[in-house]
Amino acid sequence: MLEAHHLGKSYRLGDNEVTALADVSLTFPRGSITTIVGRSGCGKTTLLRLLAGLEQPSSGELRRSEGGPQRIGVVFQEARLMPWLDVAGNVAFGLRRRLPPEAIAERSRAALDMVGLSAFAEAMPGQLSGGMAQRVAIARALVMEPDLLLLDEPFAALDAFTRRAMQNELIAIWQRKRPTIVFVTHDVEEAVLLGEHVLELERGRVVGHEPVALPFPRDPTTAEVNDHRRRILAKLTAPSPASAPLPEAAANAIAT
Amino acid sequence: MPRLSTLAVFLAALALWHLASNSGLVSTFLLPSPRTVFETLIELAGSGVLAKHTLVSLRRVVSGYLLAIAIAVPCAALFSLTPALRRLIEPLLEFLRQVPPLAMMPLLILWLGIGEAQKIGIIVLSCFFPIFLGVRGGIAAVDRKLIDVGTVCGFSRSEIMLRIVLPSALPAIVVGLRIGLGYSWRALVGAELIASSAGLGYMIVDAENLARTDIVLAGILVIGVLGLITDHLLRDLIQRKAPWLAGDLEMARA
Repeated sequence: MLEAHHLGKSYRLGDNEVTALADVSLTFPRGSITTIVGRSGCGKTTLLRLLAGLEQPSSGELRRSEGGPQRIGVVFQEARLMPWLDVAGNVAFGLRRRLPPEAIAERSRAALDMVGLSAFAEAMPGQLSGGMAQRVAIARALVMEPDLLLLDEPFAALDAFTRRAMQNELIAIWQRKRPTIVFVTHDVEEAVLLGEHVLELERGRVVGHEPVALPFPRDPTTAEVNDHRRRILAKLTAPSPASAPLPEAAANAIAT
Repeated sequence: MPRLSTLAVFLAALALWHLASNSGLVSTFLLPSPRTVFETLIELAGSGVLAKHTLVSLRRVVSGYLLAIAIAVPCAALFSLTPALRRLIEPLLEFLRQVPPLAMMPLLILWLGIGEAQKIGIIVLSCFFPIFLGVRGGIAAVDRKLIDVGTVCGFSRSEIMLRIVLPSALPAIVVGLRIGLGYSWRALVGAELIASSAGLGYMIVDAENLARTDIVLAGILVIGVLGLITDHLLRDLIQRKAPWLAGDLEMARA
């Protein structure tokens, strides 16, 4: 289990101090898939970077309980592939050299299989479409066999068809491997389609928690998905969220 | 293989040269015909004089260039990794960069004599800055987002340096290496023109003293061809070892 306790992060911008995240307390149960939704600049990416260990919190702490995530995989908004490595090299990038070469090759092959890109193992990043590059980035995260997979708007730049296919692929991978997934998005529909729990973030604070107990794969056109969407949108567009008191559910966003 | 258009441009320049020297407008003493120069070249090659001077020059260029790489790359890496050192020393280096290496020649002659050390020293001074600035600029421009990838993979600082920073900086390093190579030829000839008893620069200045413009031109042609060949070999090596840099190579035309 991964827990965030009163997590806060602020930055200095000139003479001003900007608070990106304020007093966020969350619990991510093992093997769960949680989506975090909010408008641009609400602190989603900051929260994910703190969870990934890419930044240190200004206040509060992150706790990993026993049996909690040890290996972390991150998929960023852009594929961030190394242009000097081919697809197989990019997928194997995070694997340490102390693993035998056969094991590295085997794990990379399996990860590429999982994202349906086995035929492109020798392609260079410049030869890939945006969707393919993002799948390579997902394979690079999966090859680490992460028990915590963090995704920061990974499908934001993709067209609607590729995006839908990738969402289904992600759910299939989650059902097969059961890592704990935290998925950040600004798209409310995507948040409902992918999350068992949807956390709403506004101005650096968690302003709501929407449990979504629908079976996967979810159909975006169903009334249940639309109901969840409507409720989330109502909370996110409510007036002056910064001054509003936090809903009880948001203080400890996911009941465990 | 050179393209047909490239060959055509070279042939056109040759034709112009031929016309200028055969039309009577320019004295053949000042501008010997291409035919005379090529005959001189064959004569120099046959007597072994050309090979002797070329080998001396090549040895100096290779030594100076490799020495410059050996000094500039670690210096640039050290400066990139230690900002305090960079802030301290960089103004001095900036000052030295403004001084043309040939202006240092009298000092180098006094300090190092007129032997090989002085000539190699001039080459090192000439190509140090392009290589140093290429490596420094390349490291400074590395995309932080790629470093994030290494961080989430759990890489150590040295792993990030070796597996992300250096390969990312390679385009700028390659530009510095190519510009440095061009500068090394320029500096070499300057050094050999002033104080030398062998080498292509010496061959040229000796021919000037004997009023042999055909040998002067032959020497200039050989230097140009050698410069082209070494640049081509470096490009070929880069294209084989780092094919994704093909686009960046064009930036490095010094």
